[in-house]
Amino acid sequence: MMMSKNSKGFLKKIVSRRGVGQVLTAGIGLIIISAVFAIINPIFGSWNNISNLLRQIAPILIIGIGQSYVLITGNIDLSIGSVVGMSCMMSATLMTRGVSPLISSLITFVACMGIGLMNGFLVARFKMPPFIATLGSMTIARGIAQLVNNNYNTDSIGENANTFRDIFYYGKTVGIYNPVWIALILWLIFNFVLSSTKSGRHLYAVGSNEEAARFSGVSTFSTIMTAYLVSAFCSMIVGLVNCATSGAGTMDSGTSYEMYAVAASVIGGVSTLGGTGILSGTVVGASIWGVLQNGLQFAGAPLAWRNIVVGVIVIISVLLDVVFRMSKKVTIQKEEKQIQ
Amino acid sequence: MSNYFVEMDNITKYFPGVKALADVKFNLKSGEVLACLGENGAGKSTLMKILTGIYSKDSGTIKVYGEVVEDMTANRARELGIAIIHQELNMCHHLTVAENIFLGRELVNGIKLDNKTMNQEARKTLDSLGIELDPTTLIGDLSVSKQQMVEIAKAISLDAKILIMDEPTSALSAAEIRELFRIIKQFRDDGVGIVYISHRMEEIDRIADRVIILRDGHYITDMLYQDTNLDEIISHMVGREIKEKFPQVECKIGEKIFEVKNLNAGRLVRDINFELFAGEIVGIAGLMGAGRTETVRAIFGVDPKVTGEIYIDSKQVTIDKPIDAIKAGLVLAPEDRRHQGLATKLSVRENVALPNLDILGGIFGTINRSKEKKMNAEAVENLKIRLPNVEVPAASLSGGNQQKVVVGKWLARDSRVVIFDEPTRGIDVAAKVEIYNLMNQLKEQGVAVLFVSSELPEVLGISDRILVMCDGKITADIKNEQVTQEQILHYATQFEDKKD
Repeated sequence: MMMSKNSKGFLKKIVSRRGVGQVLTAGIGLIIISAVFAIINPIFGSWNNISNLLRQIAPILIIGIGQSYVLITGNIDLSIGSVVGMSCMMSATLMTRGVSPLISSLITFVACMGIGLMNGFLVARFKMPPFIATLGSMTIARGIAQLVNNNYNTDSIGENANTFRDIFYYGKTVGIYNPVWIALILWLIFNFVLSSTKSGRHLYAVGSNEEAARFSGVSTFSTIMTAYLVSAFCSMIVGLVNCATSGAGTMDSGTSYEMYAVAASVIGGVSTLGGTGILSGTVVGASIWGVLQNGLQFAGAPLAWRNIVVGVIVIISVLLDVVFRMSKKVTIQKEEKQIQ
Repeated sequence: MSNYFVEMDNITKYFPGVKALADVKFNLKSGEVLACLGENGAGKSTLMKILTGIYSKDSGTIKVYGEVVEDMTANRARELGIAIIHQELNMCHHLTVAENIFLGRELVNGIKLDNKTMNQEARKTLDSLGIELDPTTLIGDLSVSKQQMVEIAKAISLDAKILIMDEPTSALSAAEIRELFRIIKQFRDDGVGIVYISHRMEEIDRIADRVIILRDGHYITDMLYQDTNLDEIISHMVGREIKEKFPQVECKIGEKIFEVKNLNAGRLVRDINFELFAGEIVGIAGLMGAGRTETVRAIFGVDPKVTGEIYIDSKQVTIDKPIDAIKAGLVLAPEDRRHQGLATKLSVRENVALPNLDILGGIFGTINRSKEKKMNAEAVENLKIRLPNVEVPAASLSGGNQQKVVVGKWLARDSRVVIFDEPTRGIDVAAKVEIYNLMNQLKEQGVAVLFVSSELPEVLGISDRILVMCDGKITADIKNEQVTQEQILHYATQFEDKKD
C-alpha cells in the first residue's frame, strides 16, 4: 500500500517537509500583492524601485535569519533591535574618533558577540525563560548604545568612512546594491549550515523535543548558544548597514527590529514553538514585509495603515499554521482509529 | 573475569520522601533475555534509568563488562553500548524517521550531512525489523505504534551490547510484536544482553530466559524461567507489606447514584460499564497504562468521549467539559496535584475557592469574602489541614497537606459522586489515613466514592467493591470479600489476544 502511494506521496512530502508548504503559500501571496501594487502604481514595478526595495528588504532578511535560528530552537531573541543600535553607535563613535572602519567593525563585532554569549548562557545554561533573559539584554544593549557617545548621536563618520559606507549601503556590484549581496551571502552560508550540517540538524532537534535531543547525545547548550551567537552576529551586520546608511550613529537605530525579525520569520513559516521552518521562508517573509511597506507607501496609504496591514498579515500567517496543524492531528487520529 | 555484562549491587535511590530502591542487586549476562518484573512502583523503571545514566544512584556499585563505572551518564552509557527503549516515546516530531534514528550521531560527508546514506541505513534497519516505512516520513505524521517501532529501530541501530526495553509492545499490533520477538531472539543469539520489562505475562512466557523480581524497591529473587512458572512469579510479585492501617466503616448500601454505560474514549477506554451505589467505596485497580486515569478523565469531561451515557440519580447527564460534571454533582480530584489539582502559586484560600466561585458570588460578580473565609475555615477544620494560615501559597505545603487542599476544594460543595485519582501517591502514612477517613466520611454521607489507585493493599484495604482494568477494559467487577492480591493481578494482566 505504501509503495503504490509513493509517486503521489513525493509531491506531498516535499510540501509537508519542514514548512515548505507554508513557504509556497506565502510565496504565492507575495506574487499576488506585488502584482496588485504594480497595477495600482506602475512606479512600483520600475527597476529603480525594485532595486531600492531589495535594499530595504536586505536588513530585515539578515535579522530575520538570526531570529529564525533562535525560533527554530524554540526560543526567542528580543535583543536584536538593541544590538543593531549598539553596533551602529559603537562603530560610528569609534570612526568619529579616528579609528579605521575595519578596526571599528572588529571591535563592534566582539562587543555584539558578547551580548550573544550572554543570551546563550542565560537561556542554555541557567535555563532562564528566553523572553525575560533577552528582555534584559535588550535593555542593556540599548543602554550601551546610549553610553558609548555620552548619550548623544554621533557626528558624521567622515570622509575616511566613504568606502565603508559604499560597502554597506551605497555602492553597487553588478548593478545591485551591496547590502543585497551581503544578505545573499549570509543567507547562503546560514541556509547551508541549517539545512545541511550536523549543527543545523541539532537546532531542529532541540526545538522539536529538547529532552529527546539530549538523550540522543545532542549538546543542547552549544546548540542554543550557536543560535544566539548567529542572531547577535546578524544584528551586528545590520547595525553596520544602518551606520553606513545615515553616515552617523543614532541611538535609536534598530528600534523594534526584533519584532520585524519575528514577523519575517513567522510569515515565512518558522514556528515560534520551535522545530520547524526554513530560511527560504524567511526570505519570503522579509520580502512580504518590504513589499507591503514600500507598496502601501506608493499606493498612498498612511503609515498607520501600513502598520495595521503588516500586523494582520502576521496574525493570518500564524493562524494558518495553527489551523493546518490541528487538521493534521485529526487526520493522524483518524488513521489510528482505522488501524484498530 | 565474570561473564556478566552488568552487575549492580546495593543500589539505593531516594526520591523526596520515598526510598525508591533499597539495596537492589541486578545482573545481566551476555546472550540472555532477562525479564524484569514487579508491580507498579516496584522500582523497575528507576533501576533501568540508573543503569542508563538518566538518574544517578545514591549508593551502590555498577559494573559494566566487569569494570566499575563510577559516574554513569547518558553519554557514558551510550559509549558502553547500553541502549534503552523508553516507555514514554521520546522522539522529535518535526524530524523524519531517519533523522531521529541518527540523531546525535549523524553521518557526514566533510561537514555536509550525508542524508542519502542515513536514509539508506535507516531503510535497512527498518527492513530488518519488517517495518514498511519510508525513512523520510516525519515522525509527527506517524501513528503511535509506528513511532514505537521507530524507537525500537533506533535502539537497535546503535549496535548495542546491552538493550533495555521498557514496555515496548504496549502500542504494537500482534504482527509487529511477533517481528519484534524474532529480532530480540536474533540479538540474543548474537550475544546481546536484553532486559525486557513488561506487565504482559504471556510475553514473558514467550521470550524470557531468566526473570528478576522486584517488589517495593527491594530485590526479591531471580531465577531461570524454565525452573519456574507464572503462578510462582506472581506470588513473588505480590505480597507487599501492608504498612498502613485501613480504617473500615460499615455502611448499608443505598440506592444507585451513578452509572456509566458503554463509555468509549480512545484505545485505553473501551466499553466501560459500571455503577456506583450510595454508601460504598469502589476502587479501580490495574497496572500502569491500563486506562484507569483515562477512564475517569473521560467521565469528568477532560477528554472527549466517543460514545457513552452517564446517569446521576437515574437522570442522564451530558458531560462535555469539566464544568458540566461539576454542575451535575460529579467532581474529580486529579492524579497530578501540582499540575492538575492545584494552582500552586495561589494561596490555599484561592485554591479552595476556585471551583466554588459560583456559590461564593456576591453582587456584580465580586467574591463574597466572608463566605470564602467560612468555606476555608470549614475545609481546614474538616480535613485537619496543617498550615499557618490560608494565605500561604499551596506550593509551600507538604504533599499530604496539598492533597488535602485538593480534596477540600471539592468537598466545599455538595457533590453526589467524588472521584479520586491516586489520592495517596507520595504522601506519608499519617496523611494517608486521614484521606481514608475522609473517604469513609463521604461514604457515610451517602456520596458515591470512586478511586483509582496503583497500591494494591490500599485498594484491598479501603474498597467495598473493586473494578480491575486491563488494556482499556474492565476485566473484573468484584465485591471485596476475601479477594487476594494474586486474584487482582490475575485480572489486571488479562490481556486479550491481539489479532492480526
